[in-house]
Amino acid sequence: MGRKGKPLSETVWTRMDRKAGAVIELTIRQLRHRISTWVVLGVGVLLMALLLTFYIDSVRESFEPIDNDGDSEDNDGDGYPMGQERKYGTPDWNSDLYPGASVYIPESDIDWNDADRTEFGNKSWEGSAFFEASWVDDQYAGEWWDSYVDWNLNQEGIPELTDCSDWEMEDLYVEFWGDACDLGDGDGDGMTTYYVAGKWRGEGIATVPENYYLSWGHWTEEVYVEPEPPEMYINEDGIDCFDIFMRPDSRVDCPSEIRISGSHGFDDDGDCLAANEGNGDDDNGNGVRCDVQWIASNGVVTRIEADDLVDEDPDEQEYIGELGHRTFVIAVGKMAFVILLGLFIPLFLSLGLVRDETENGTLHLLLSKPIHRAEFIIYRLTGYLAISGSYVIGLSLVVGLISSILGPGDQIIRFSDIPVWIGIGVATTLVLAAYGSMFNAMGLISPKYGVYLCIVFGIWEFMMGSFSILNPNWTVASVSISHWALQMIDAVVLLAWPDTIQWAEMDRAFEIDSGLSVFWQPPVHTLGTASAGIALLNSLVVLLLVSVVWIFIAKSVFSRREIM
Amino acid sequence: MTMEQQNPPAVLIDQVSKWYGQVIGVNDLSLAIDGGVTGVLGPNGAGKSTLFKLMMGRIRPSQGSVRLFGVDPWKNTSPFRRVGYVSESEKLYEWMTALDFVTTLARLHGMTREEATERSAHVLEFVGLTDVMHKELGKFSKGMRQRVKIAHALVHDPDLLILDEPLHGCDPLARTSIMSVIRELGEQGKTILISSHILEEIERITEQIVILHNGRLLAIGNLHAIRGLLDKHPHRILINCEDPRSMANLFVTEEPVFGVRFPREGQLEIQTNDLSAAHAVLPSIVVSSNQKITSIENPDDNLDSLLGYLIKEGN
Repeated sequence: MGRKGKPLSETVWTRMDRKAGAVIELTIRQLRHRISTWVVLGVGVLLMALLLTFYIDSVRESFEPIDNDGDSEDNDGDGYPMGQERKYGTPDWNSDLYPGASVYIPESDIDWNDADRTEFGNKSWEGSAFFEASWVDDQYAGEWWDSYVDWNLNQEGIPELTDCSDWEMEDLYVEFWGDACDLGDGDGDGMTTYYVAGKWRGEGIATVPENYYLSWGHWTEEVYVEPEPPEMYINEDGIDCFDIFMRPDSRVDCPSEIRISGSHGFDDDGDCLAANEGNGDDDNGNGVRCDVQWIASNGVVTRIEADDLVDEDPDEQEYIGELGHRTFVIAVGKMAFVILLGLFIPLFLSLGLVRDETENGTLHLLLSKPIHRAEFIIYRLTGYLAISGSYVIGLSLVVGLISSILGPGDQIIRFSDIPVWIGIGVATTLVLAAYGSMFNAMGLISPKYGVYLCIVFGIWEFMMGSFSILNPNWTVASVSISHWALQMIDAVVLLAWPDTIQWAEMDRAFEIDSGLSVFWQPPVHTLGTASAGIALLNSLVVLLLVSVVWIFIAKSVFSRREIM
Repeated sequence: MTMEQQNPPAVLIDQVSKWYGQVIGVNDLSLAIDGGVTGVLGPNGAGKSTLFKLMMGRIRPSQGSVRLFGVDPWKNTSPFRRVGYVSESEKLYEWMTALDFVTTLARLHGMTREEATERSAHVLEFVGLTDVMHKELGKFSKGMRQRVKIAHALVHDPDLLILDEPLHGCDPLARTSIMSVIRELGEQGKTILISSHILEEIERITEQIVILHNGRLLAIGNLHAIRGLLDKHPHRILINCEDPRSMANLFVTEEPVFGVRFPREGQLEIQTNDLSAAHAVLPSIVVSSNQKITSIENPDDNLDSLLGYLIKEGN
C-alpha cells in the first residue's frame, strides 16, 4: 500500500508510466502508418546494403601490390629496375651505365704545370699530347660530341691523317680537337708521332706540351648481369620490429605484441644504406642509420618516425586488410550513420511530432486528457526515439555482423568490432535524440517555416561534421551536434581497438594509403587526460544536454501555445 | 475553509473575456454550472466553442478566470481527470479501429491496457457501436464518428461532460440515438454542457439553457419560460396546400389568428399572437378543409427569431 492508502499499482508513478506507454505506443503506430517513415528507413537500409556491397567487392578483389618507393621502375630503359641499379651502384637515369657495364677507371694525369710531361703505355687517353704510337684502337669511338679521335686507318692498319709536320705549333693547338695529325717519324725509330687532341686508345709514348693536360685510365671488361624482375622491387622492404632486447635476430613483422619505444625497422632492400651513405640517412635523428623510431607510451604506440627508404615498401596485403577494415567501419559509422542517417531520420520523423497533431486537428483529443504538455513532448520524443533508435542500433549491428564476418582475421567473427558498432549505434541514437528534440522544437516555434530552419541547421551540421572528420581540433566545429557524436565514435574506436593509433601511424609513416588517418584521429575533448573514456563521457554529456535544452525550449513554446 | 472552496462548482467562469486580435470571442462572461444538462445555444460565431476551449485549457482567457472544479485548466491538467470533452473537430485517427481509439485515449487517464480495453468496449456498447468497434474509423459515417467521440469522452466516467455540437451533421436516426444517450447521462446525475445552434435539438434534451450572442451572455434559465415569452410574440405558420384561399377562409374566423397572406402559389401564411392556441385549432381545420397538405412550417420557431426577440427585448 502507498502512503495515502492506495494500492502501489495505483501510484502517481504507475499512472504516469501508463500514460507514457500510451503516448509512446500511439507515436510509434502513427509513424508506422506514414509512408515517409518507411521511405527514409528504407533508403537507410539501401545505403548500408550499397556500402556493404562496396566492401565485399573490395575484399574479394585481391589487393594490387603497390610499389611505394617506385624502385621497380626502369627509368633509363636499360632493362634493369631502379632497385637493381641501386644495388650495383649504377644510376637509373643513364642507359650506358647499368649493372655489369664496362666502366672507365681513371689512373693518373699530367697537369698543365707538372714537371714530368711524358707517359708510356697502352691506355685510354683524354687530353692533348704528342703521341708516338706503336698501336692505336680504331674501334674506340662514341658520339661526335665526346671528341673521340678518328684514326682513319687504311687497309694496312696505318692511320691516314693530315700532314702537319711543317705547321706552326700555335696553329696545331688551335686547329685540332677530337682529331689527330701526322708529324712523321722525327727520330727515325720507325714509329710515327701524331699530335692528338680528344679521346683515344692506343699504345705509345705521350708527351704533353707545356700548359696542356692529359689524363689516362682503362675500361673494365663488360660482364653480363641477369636483369632482375621488377616484381622483386615491389613490397621488398616490409615493416620490421624487434623484441624488447632489440636483438637483430628477433626480427618480427609489425605490429607485434610487443609495443615498445625504440629503434626498430630494417632496410631489407639496402637502398637506404646504399643511396644515402653518410648523408640524410638518419632523418629521424635518433643517431641510428637507416632505422625506424617507434615511440610508445603506456604500451600504445603513438608515433612512428622512419628514416627515408627504410621499411618503405611493405606488403600492403599484410596491412591493408586490417587498415581497410577499420577505415570502412569508422567511415561508415561517421558518414553514413552519424551524418546521413543522423540528419535525415529526424528531418522526416521528428519535425512534425507535435506540430502535425496541431495541424491535423487531433491534438485536442490528447490534451483533453490529464497530461501536461511537457510530458506530452517527452513521450512523443520517446516514441520517435524508440523507432529511430532501435532502427539505427539494429542496422549498425547487422552491418557490423556482416562486415565482421567478411573482415580480416582468423576468427569467424571479429568480436572486437562489436563494441565499435554498438558505439556507432549509440552515438547515432544520441544524435537522433539531439536533432529530434531540436527539429521538434523548430516545428513548434514556426509551424510554417520550421522545415526551412531545420534544413539550414542541417546544412550547418553537415558541414561541421565533415570538417570535424578532417580536423577534429578545429574549435568552431565543436559548436555543432555532429562534432560531439563523431568524437564519441573516435573515443569508442580507441577503447575497443587501443592499437588504432599504431595502425594510423603505420598507415601514415609507411604510406600504405588506407585512409585510416583521414577518417580517424584520437579524440580531442579529453580534458587534458588523453583518456578515451573521458572523451566518451564528455561527448555523452554534451549530446544529452543539447537534447534536454531543446526539449525545454519546445516545452516553453508549447506551454504558451493556444490550440485553436 | 468555506463550503464553496471545499466543493467548488464544476464550471465557474468569472468575468472572462477572450479576444483574437481585434475579434471578440467571449466578452465579459460570468457563469457557474453544477449538475444537470445545460444547453449552450447561440448562432455560429456566438462564442460557444471559444467558451469550451477556455474550459479545456486550449486557450488562455484575455481577462477573468476560468475554473473547473476550482482549478485553472490553462495551468493545470488535473481537472481533466473528471472531464470528458467532445470537440467540434471531425478529425480522428482514421487508421485506428473504434475500440483501439477509445482504448488508447483511455490509457491517457492512467488505466492499464486491460482496464482500458474493458471500459472502452463498455462505453462503445453504451453508444451503440459494439457491432462496428473493430472497424477502422475512416470507414465510419458522421453519426458513428460523433458517437465514438462521445464514447472516448465517457470512458473514464467523468463528472463533467462538455459536448461541442455533438449533433452537428448527423442524420435524424443518429441524432435521436445521441440525444437519448445524453438524456440518459443527465439522468445518471452528470453535469453536462452541450452546445448547439439549433433550438429544437436542445429542447428535446434539456430545459436548462444558456444563450450566447456575439460573445455575450444573452439569457440563462429555463427554456420554457423563455419560450413562453416568445409564444406571445407574433408568429407565422406556413401551410403548403392545394387551395390556399379556401383554407384561409377557415382560419380567419379563429381567435388567435389576426391575419393571412399568400406569399407564393400554393402557400398560405397565417399570422398569430398565440402559437400554442393556433396549433391547438390547426388539426381540426386541416381535417375539415378536406385538402391535401404537403407541409406545415413554423419559420419563427427557431433560435434566430428567439434571438431577434431577446435582443429587441433587451433594447
